[in-house]
Amino acid sequence: MHSRIRLAGLAGAMALVVACNSDNFLTGGELSTDPNRPTEATSGQLFVGIQAAVWAQLESDPARVTNLWAQQLLGTNIQYIDIYNYGVSEDVTNGFHASLYTGGGLVDIRRLEAQATAAHDSIFLGVGQVMEALLVGTGADMFGDLTYTHALTSEQNPPLDPQMAIYDSVQALLSRAIVNLAASGPTNVGPASADLAYGGDPTKWTELAHTLKARFLMHTAEVRPTVYPQVVTEASKGITNPADNFNAVFSGNSNEQNFWYQFDIVQRPGYIAPNPQFVALLKARKDPRLSAYFNSDQSDLNDSLIAPNHTQPLVTANEDLLLWAEAAQRSGDNATALAKLNQARALAGLPAESGLTGRPLLAEILIEEYIADFQSIEAWNLYKRTCTPNLAPVVAGAKIPARFLYDASERNTNTNIPAPTSQPARNANDPANTTSDATGAACLGQ
Amino acid sequence: MRSLRLSRHRLVTGALLVLASSRMFAQGATITGHVTGEGGVPLPGATVSIAGMGVGSITRNDGLYTFTVPANRVTGQVVTLNARRVGYTPQNAQVTLAAGTITHDFAMTATALQLEQVIVTGAGTSQVRERVGSTINTVDSTTLKRATQPQNILSSLSATTPNVRVNTQSGEPGASAFVMIRGATSVTGTNQPLIVVDNQPIDNTTMSTNGGDGSTVTQNRAADINPNDVESIQILKGSAASAIYGARAANGVILITTKHGTNGPTRYSITSTQTFDNVIKTFPLQQDFGQGSSGKPGGCSAPDCSASSLTWGPELTGGTPTFNHGKEIYDTGLTSDNAISVSGGTQRTTFFLSGGLTDQIGVMRGPNNRYDRTTVRLSASHQLLNTLTFGGNFSYFNTTGEYVQKGSNTSGLLLGALRTPPDFNNLPYLDPTSGLHRSYRFPNPTSASITDSRGYDNPFFVLNNSGNRSELGRFLGNVTANWVPTSWLSLNETFGADNYTDSRLEALPLTSSGDPVGNVTRFQITNLEVDHNLTATLSHEFSSDFNSRLVLGQNLNSRRNRQIFIFGDQLIAPSPLAIQNTVSYTPSEFRSLRHVAGYFTQAELDFYNQLHLTAGVRDDGFSTFGASHRTALYPKVDAAWTFTNLFGGANNGTGWLSNGRLRAAYGETGREPPVYATISALSTTSIFGSGFGDFIGSKQSGQGGVVTGSNLGNSNLRPERNREAEVGTDLGFFGQRSDFSFTYYNKRSSDVILPVPVNAAATGASTALVNGATVSNKGVELALNVRPYTSRNVDFSLGVNYAKNIGRVTSLIQGVQFIPYNNEGFTGAIGSSTVGFAPGVLRGQDFIRCGLGEQAALPGTGGAVVSVDSACGSGFKKGALYIAGSNNRPVVNPDEQVIADPNPHWTSGLNGSLRIGKLQFTTLLDIRRGGQVWDGTRSALDRFGTAAETDIRRDTAGIFGQNVLGNEAVAGPGAGKVAFRTLGDWQNWFTTTGGSASAVQSQFIEDGSFVKWRELSMIYTLDAPWVRSRLGLSSALIRIAGRNLHTWTKYKGLDPETNLGGSEFLTQGIDFFQNPQTRSFVVAVTLNR
Repeated sequence: MHSRIRLAGLAGAMALVVACNSDNFLTGGELSTDPNRPTEATSGQLFVGIQAAVWAQLESDPARVTNLWAQQLLGTNIQYIDIYNYGVSEDVTNGFHASLYTGGGLVDIRRLEAQATAAHDSIFLGVGQVMEALLVGTGADMFGDLTYTHALTSEQNPPLDPQMAIYDSVQALLSRAIVNLAASGPTNVGPASADLAYGGDPTKWTELAHTLKARFLMHTAEVRPTVYPQVVTEASKGITNPADNFNAVFSGNSNEQNFWYQFDIVQRPGYIAPNPQFVALLKARKDPRLSAYFNSDQSDLNDSLIAPNHTQPLVTANEDLLLWAEAAQRSGDNATALAKLNQARALAGLPAESGLTGRPLLAEILIEEYIADFQSIEAWNLYKRTCTPNLAPVVAGAKIPARFLYDASERNTNTNIPAPTSQPARNANDPANTTSDATGAACLGQ
Repeated sequence: MRSLRLSRHRLVTGALLVLASSRMFAQGATITGHVTGEGGVPLPGATVSIAGMGVGSITRNDGLYTFTVPANRVTGQVVTLNARRVGYTPQNAQVTLAAGTITHDFAMTATALQLEQVIVTGAGTSQVRERVGSTINTVDSTTLKRATQPQNILSSLSATTPNVRVNTQSGEPGASAFVMIRGATSVTGTNQPLIVVDNQPIDNTTMSTNGGDGSTVTQNRAADINPNDVESIQILKGSAASAIYGARAANGVILITTKHGTNGPTRYSITSTQTFDNVIKTFPLQQDFGQGSSGKPGGCSAPDCSASSLTWGPELTGGTPTFNHGKEIYDTGLTSDNAISVSGGTQRTTFFLSGGLTDQIGVMRGPNNRYDRTTVRLSASHQLLNTLTFGGNFSYFNTTGEYVQKGSNTSGLLLGALRTPPDFNNLPYLDPTSGLHRSYRFPNPTSASITDSRGYDNPFFVLNNSGNRSELGRFLGNVTANWVPTSWLSLNETFGADNYTDSRLEALPLTSSGDPVGNVTRFQITNLEVDHNLTATLSHEFSSDFNSRLVLGQNLNSRRNRQIFIFGDQLIAPSPLAIQNTVSYTPSEFRSLRHVAGYFTQAELDFYNQLHLTAGVRDDGFSTFGASHRTALYPKVDAAWTFTNLFGGANNGTGWLSNGRLRAAYGETGREPPVYATISALSTTSIFGSGFGDFIGSKQSGQGGVVTGSNLGNSNLRPERNREAEVGTDLGFFGQRSDFSFTYYNKRSSDVILPVPVNAAATGASTALVNGATVSNKGVELALNVRPYTSRNVDFSLGVNYAKNIGRVTSLIQGVQFIPYNNEGFTGAIGSSTVGFAPGVLRGQDFIRCGLGEQAALPGTGGAVVSVDSACGSGFKKGALYIAGSNNRPVVNPDEQVIADPNPHWTSGLNGSLRIGKLQFTTLLDIRRGGQVWDGTRSALDRFGTAAETDIRRDTAGIFGQNVLGNEAVAGPGAGKVAFRTLGDWQNWFTTTGGSASAVQSQFIEDGSFVKWRELSMIYTLDAPWVRSRLGLSSALIRIAGRNLHTWTKYKGLDPETNLGGSEFLTQGIDFFQNPQTRSFVVAVTLNR
């Protein structure tokens, strides 16, 4: 009997011990931390993810869709036919509004900037600020007003900043980045090999910052014509050597493949084709890019552009030189404008122009910009601001879309975002052109 | 009532063993005799024991019992000999205990409701059925043999129990079974019940290698259990019954009890079952028109040419060879199932040893369509002290399978097979010259095409892809201890583990259309679940009219899951299909650990042997709950009143009403949040790109990238909660001749977890899981059994059950009317949970209809939105299709809506049994009324022009509501007018608005009602004396059966029961190129000794 009581006592004590420790039983180790997901990352690791996210923002659907609207491409299947015919819905945005903020976007750029600041790494901070400016500036190009000063505050219904204020913030941010990138000292190590575009070279990042200043200043020029001299100043310090282009770099391995390859070859063959208008333009100009952009019968993109490991230029010397040329011309400096145009033409394999001045020179610069910006959102940005080329809408009586609608998921979770039907057709930086800047003819598509 | 069928429970044995004691002496008393039932039929499995002495035995197949009382306890005293058997009224007899042999026979009478049956009530508790006020249905082992797929223990539950709905994915070897008990309570996850084997929860996950829409069939893991080892199944349906399992019981609990040894002579049993399977139905295909478009031929003959994907070519001239591509891929499947068991024991030690060997070759041609399972099991117990018994159950399962890719997959079997034009010969599937894969869209491959797509794979190429395999080893075991230190206290411990490793290969060889460069996926899942369950049961009898019992319990549970997934892209050499033979690999891994610490108590009171009250509560702590809600309480209370006992003892009702019982119960159960949903973290696997499938990862060019995860952790996440009340009655009429039971339940689920979008600008995340939705389910369950005639030589019984469940998502979250399940279904017919409907309805578009008060832009209104009803004119039927426009067609309604509810209106099972002497017939019907199915296979084949119904292209006067969509009423200016005149008109319709390219998939929603004749079997028992004397056997059974003999349904596709994702999908009712069900002919022989 005694042994039974002892045994019972022992069992009871064991149960009690486990009972009292149930908090330990329910927490700790893999119970409380997710073994599959990290909770911290180095700045370099964050930066690799940020680059991938920014590449998608600049090269995936936004570039393709705007190329359709800029009539460089033709939409030839299902949704792309609809988008080509100005079927603009929240679906066309395809999540690229929310992705400004989510993983790899602003949330991680801010995390990177905080870590760089804590590590006294001004160069990395500057690099992060350039990426932030590129991402947020592009967001302003696409959507106009955006939540920015109130971003990532967790507040309910964060207010939107006016688009022009965002462009101002982008300029200020780039100015700070340029200062930070000039820092020296043992802690200022920068991204080094995590920087897939520039290998951590602060000089190149500084050039990129200047070109981006020129780009986003130019985006405001339609309503702020006084910025042209500043564009000249910034572009002159920007990327003028194609070796310094800011590129998306793809290894070609699984999950590391060029978006154009993935879309045109793997996922959606037959959805896009060269636009006859664009092909005709290149042919008429005997432009060698006809064969560089497209295959021999102009039925598809050139094979080299749709290779899995094709390096995709995002911000280029051509763009910088042509912004410089355009701003110089619009400031009255035809000589500089022609020189920069010819520098850009040389990069494209075209002979130098001579004797051009005034509107013909401007027209030449703008058309050259339009051609050089193929596969980039910039072709559409250029069209919006200059009505060049003077595209005829593909749907009679319609206007060429001048902005993307906000994501439905963002609209549904923020009362400050109006319903699609109440959103403006154009952004503040981009009033409808009445005439084409290049020709002076009535603008057909705005 | 099927659910109350016979079940001998091990606890009876256990209790005997616990109580039995003392050493053996030579001159004891041997007590022996026969136990018989109605008409003198021997009753095996009856327990005969001496009350208060703890000695006894269980009868053999011939009804004989025998046991010995040691001489030191034989004092010539008068003792009570008690005989009990489930389903029979217990009997007592007084005998005088003296040395020598005492013979006493019992003739027992059956009871209608089997209320004396001891049933397992979960978490180590058991109770006499009469005292249980909640609904627990029992399925015994003989019923389990009647399954569609005898290899899957859950499939075998089809039609056995009201409101336990079973959908078997297809007739393929290794297909999963979807089980839904009293409706879905959650809007995420698949709402599958918890499976508990011998008091130990086991894993029943279904996880395909590459997603349920494509990939291959995949087992639900409970299919590893050998059905031959199962003694009985109890199904805890309502929350009151399952509350003892707390936050794992929201979808009910299935308690499986396996077979155990009994003392007495060693028994041997060998069963060999051969099953011949063939497909019930193949998809009806046309044999009259050839490949091509607009009536022109579309084949091609140049090397590496691409031919038309369509079969809208010319009418085939007489003598053109045609092929039925739906039939040519099948032959007869053969399943060989062999099981052996040896059991026996002494007073103190018992054992049950079994082995099973199942070798299933499916109905698809080719060598890669099989499922093999090998199981061994030992169950043993030993009484160490008079008060202490140890036991254990140890099983090992080895299952391997080879599968064929299916579904929405250009390398799936039926997708390519059924789209092939009838005039294209799929054989040989390899080009005689190049030796490469040829298909109807790529008929002349040269060696240059080794990495080119074939459009859709040749089905024989798919059948010969040996790259889809699984290999699983699983250990399931527990040790038990039962200690009864005093008469009023008993302690029970079960400590067990369920551990498996499932190793998968899924590959596409070179030239596969799904990935012409080939790929290899390796997937390995390792799962370990350890469970400790300790109960203390205290009983006290206050007076003969007032008994009480108190159960205290502790449950600790740990679930550890490990998954390694490696995708190897681009084969280097054509073979082997192995990871190292691919150009690049993408590995990923998932690990999780979950712990549960639950404490429960349950008090039971019995008054006057007729009123039984139970109240209990479980306090559940889960590691998956948010830190602010670490534990949750799940109370329950139930009452059962056997009112006929007012008139005297059990079975003593007056006149026609022999037994009557009322019951009422209320209980709460929960469902835990997904693992790690409370944690916000970074991600190394995020992807960036568009919805068109172009994306890159966060890792680039050899540099690891890390970003913030898209899901915001919710540290306040609580378990979902069901609150369910039920009332019911069980009535027995005319003695054992008839019984009836009825249950009504009302279940409200709140705090249901759903993903909601969060503002990315404010949070940097896209979604968060929150407790927000509410779901209600209510319904009735009825069962009626009649046994109109019973005699020594003839038994006849009939049973019917009926169930109805009405499920509704009553709310999601403010502003959200539905959540789509983007992995379940397709654009146009996508699974969802939508407010006002049961979880798992299909959403899509419909045509514009009259009488619904809609406003829309109609043909001829120049884009202006007008009233549809006024355009419909007068005299239309509500819901009529609006027909208009220059070619008199219906008009697409742009609004997305619910287009199908796959949940049936009601379900019913009908069973019959007839015994004539040694010959027994049983039959089972499975009836389902309502429940819609999207026939996506027909939708696609209408588009491609191979469906038999596209023969209508010959018709020169196609009119909506008549020969097109003939089940629809029509109205509007084009009603009754000719819409189709030429083959071109028909092709235009079926390849756009009238087929799978259409946004309007509502036109392919069909009624999935069916009546399935699940089983007809004949068993002959040989137990004549010569069987023993000549063959040395106690009995031999010969069983001949047919399964799925016939299906009555209006469904036009293969089978309304099949489902693309099996139990991986909450959304049932999706038919898209999955394989058909099979019909079987079964021959089985059992030898017992």
